[in-house]
Amino acid sequence: MAASGAGGGKTYSFKVVLLGEGCVGKTSLVLRYCENKFNDKHITTLQASFLTKKLNITGKRVNLAIWDTAGQERFHALGPIYYRDSNGAILVYDITDEDSFQKVKNWVKELRKMLGNEICLCIVGNKIDLDKDRHVSVEEAESYAESVGAKHYHTSAKLNKGIEELFLDLCKRMMETAQAEERLKGNGASQSASNRRGVQIVDDEPQATPAGGCCSSG
Amino acid sequence: MVVDEGGGGGGVVEELVEEVGLVLRKRGRRAVHGAVSGTTAIPWRSSRSSSRRSSRRRLLQRLKDWEEAWSPPPPWDREEAQSALRGTQPGSFLVLRDHVTCRPRLLCVATDGHVTEREILFSDRVCQLSGSRLSFPDVFQLLLFCSFSRDVLPEVLRLPPWIFSESPESSELGPKMWLSASSENPPEEKSEALGSVLCCLQMTSSNGALCVVNPLYLHEHGDEWLMQRPLAQRPLAQMPPAQRSLVQRPLAQSSRTSDLRRDQRRLSGTRPWSGAGLIPKRAVSLDQEPAPDLGDSSGVVRARSADSSKTPVSSGPASSTSGVVLRRPSRDSPIATSSPITTSSPSAPSPLAPVSHMSPSPHRVSWIQDGVWLPPPSPPSLLHLPSMELDSLSVSSVEEDPDPLSGLASSSHRLADKVRHRFSAVGQALGGLVCPKRRFRYRVQEMSDRRGSVFADGVRTFVDGFLQKSPERDGLTEFLQEVRASLTALRETLLEHVEIQGLLDAMTDMTDAEIDILVERSIHKVALKPVASHLYGCIQTSRSSDGILDRLQRNQRPLQAGGVGQLGGSEGVGVPDQVTLERIRERWDTMHEAYSPNKKVEVLLKVCKNIYHCMSAGTESTGAVLGADDFLPCLSWVLLQSDVVALQVDTEYMMELLDPTQLQGEGGYYLTSLYAALFFISSFRTRRAVRQLSVEAQQSLSQWHRRRTLHCDHPPRRKLPHTIHSRGGEGGEEVPQRGRGRGGEEVPQPGRGRGGEGSEEGEGGPRDSELRLKKWKDV
Repeated sequence: MAASGAGGGKTYSFKVVLLGEGCVGKTSLVLRYCENKFNDKHITTLQASFLTKKLNITGKRVNLAIWDTAGQERFHALGPIYYRDSNGAILVYDITDEDSFQKVKNWVKELRKMLGNEICLCIVGNKIDLDKDRHVSVEEAESYAESVGAKHYHTSAKLNKGIEELFLDLCKRMMETAQAEERLKGNGASQSASNRRGVQIVDDEPQATPAGGCCSSG
Repeated sequence: MVVDEGGGGGGVVEELVEEVGLVLRKRGRRAVHGAVSGTTAIPWRSSRSSSRRSSRRRLLQRLKDWEEAWSPPPPWDREEAQSALRGTQPGSFLVLRDHVTCRPRLLCVATDGHVTEREILFSDRVCQLSGSRLSFPDVFQLLLFCSFSRDVLPEVLRLPPWIFSESPESSELGPKMWLSASSENPPEEKSEALGSVLCCLQMTSSNGALCVVNPLYLHEHGDEWLMQRPLAQRPLAQMPPAQRSLVQRPLAQSSRTSDLRRDQRRLSGTRPWSGAGLIPKRAVSLDQEPAPDLGDSSGVVRARSADSSKTPVSSGPASSTSGVVLRRPSRDSPIATSSPITTSSPSAPSPLAPVSHMSPSPHRVSWIQDGVWLPPPSPPSLLHLPSMELDSLSVSSVEEDPDPLSGLASSSHRLADKVRHRFSAVGQALGGLVCPKRRFRYRVQEMSDRRGSVFADGVRTFVDGFLQKSPERDGLTEFLQEVRASLTALRETLLEHVEIQGLLDAMTDMTDAEIDILVERSIHKVALKPVASHLYGCIQTSRSSDGILDRLQRNQRPLQAGGVGQLGGSEGVGVPDQVTLERIRERWDTMHEAYSPNKKVEVLLKVCKNIYHCMSAGTESTGAVLGADDFLPCLSWVLLQSDVVALQVDTEYMMELLDPTQLQGEGGYYLTSLYAALFFISSFRTRRAVRQLSVEAQQSLSQWHRRRTLHCDHPPRRKLPHTIHSRGGEGGEEVPQRGRGRGGEEVPQPGRGRGGEGSEEGEGGPRDSELRLKKWKDV
């Protein structure tokens, strides 16, 4: 569901999946982004498993659907059910929790394996307001992200820092990816129009060759 | 006048007005055909003083206190009552009780020279007069109402004057006493009450039709959910048609008193009804942003629909505890003209409404404007929910009900949609037009019956074919994919009809997505409905034979015992209590009964909404943000308390038969969550390593996705699917796969070529689906 042409301008619809251990602030992050809310000690409780956001980036409309996932280990196996056909993934860790960074690494490996390079990965170190308790070094995180072709962001849902940039950047990258796909597919405009409605896919590679070495670099 | 015992009634008017105001604005802005061009409110006179309100409540109390007087116990029979009533002032009444149950059963009213009798019917916590469509929570409110408005009675009931006084002078209760005094005129108090509220909404459509919509009428249809709120809910689709055609707002059960106060404030009657405060709220919801919590949804608004035939509805409405707002006959009270908002039509009801020839509704009550009858509603099968856009399948929008236990509620934007839809329908029907959506559904239905038409043949082939067909062993998914593909083909066939094209093209005020859903649901009705139960059977058989249902049930008990904590739920996050659980189970039943996968998803979203409410009940103090970390455990917990087998069947039904475009929004997300939670349960014991996604799940997933790509549904009005060639990944990550034909079999590849680091991952074949996952992205 990458892009669609709709009367006048092009509208991109992207699915973004949120992954990361429980309590790293996935939900707060996205809630902050979509509704500019952060529940610190407020009375209300907000539901934020599925949120949408409409953007306009360089004249193009973008509809973002953000899918939250359960971070508990026991639900790990359900990951593919959620992240399938995602255009982007936001992998969140808590900078005060090294384990959560390790989890992110695991997710990166899995996603690269399952979805290849077509998915835009964002690695997000959240809770930078707690920098004094930092347990994941900035350098380590950034160099890791670079090594796996992901972008790294520092955010604080509490202070509303770095979140807009994260999503804006991700959207731009997903648009680039989508545009690149369109170009590769040739007739971009008409193609994109039919994408939304569903297109029949026929494989180009009928031969059954081993899938060896698929992204083992993780 | 308001028969109001605790608020809500006033809000009804205001909210209806708000809705209408917005609708009008919106329609005006969009300048679509059939737009309502002008509006006029007949301003309601409100009871501004709370003392009047409380006096009415006092009156109700008095009526209760004097029950023995007007309702003598069983020894009294009809003859006795009749003789007692004979010669009394018209309107004097007695209520006879049932000999066995002692429940009030017969209302005897004195009319000129004789006595009229009406049975009092009790059904499911409401009572009503036979022949009346108005229901009340109890007989007292019924009588009080009838003392204001005669409804089906020949006379307004007369209450003895002394009942209005603070202290009845006699302690001797009895019918004699009751009737003896009833020849006197009622005191001033009653007259005041009579004149207290007057409301009628009017609007004119562009073709000049004047529509008069009476809130009482609106209010009185479809109240059942109000009465059943603790346990039952009635999905829109199951409601009597009159109810479904109506717009409903949730009733806030809590904070009754504050509602009352607010209502009083609102009812001050001078506020313009397209008030400025309304637009931002509505605009948000109409733009499909996350809907704001409608904290003020204190009443029920029912828009009288013109989606109507002349068939009276047989099922009885239920009553509202929130009160009745109605308009007096105009002859009794000149219309106040204090605050019309738009002035394009006269503020007084005008006899120019071209509807007087229509047959009277069975719901006639005396307040209806002379000669203005709206046609009664149509049979349920002809009425669907207005179709919604993709993302209107949304938890945040399906139900704006602040209380998870309260009954059916609507999303703000759906509501607005409905209002727009209904009001435009009213306007158009009155102007001699029919709602295009309905016409479309009619037409589809008709075409499916038409001998010799390609579409009808297609439908017959579909129904007959699939009724005789069952999936081969392990071929359930393929089978369901075939059903889906055939549905799509039927849709294509339908859309090839010039007539259909014309109808759709005329729907300029609908988005493509809405049209897609309209078409899709019309197809469901004619094709899927007849085969739905057969498909259930197929799914159930297949899933029994491959052991999934068995595993689900086997794991249900031990997981249940563990509680929500075992499922990963965090401390303090609430789970549904028994009452809510019961309600959720009912919703699951509703979901199971629905044959349209779209409808099922709607119900699912309501359940999710319920779950969220229960979750947040436990975290109000901490203010936790509830995301998937909390939702999935809670959903799993709920599933464990439910009929997992039926749910599994429904989940597969939805996943396979839902139009794939419907999987993109919130509906897709929560359906995915349902699938995930069921998978979690069924694989609980077999999952040795936590990280392993079982082979079955991988296959199931890949099959699902294969359909998404192979059997992608084609858009309406597109005759041939486009075929493109997917490309593999980049940089040496080509996806090697066996060729597969459309719907052909595919042999999953063994799990080879696994990445080195993924050592803790599954032992068998997950790679296969990973390959395919790459492909999905291309779409």
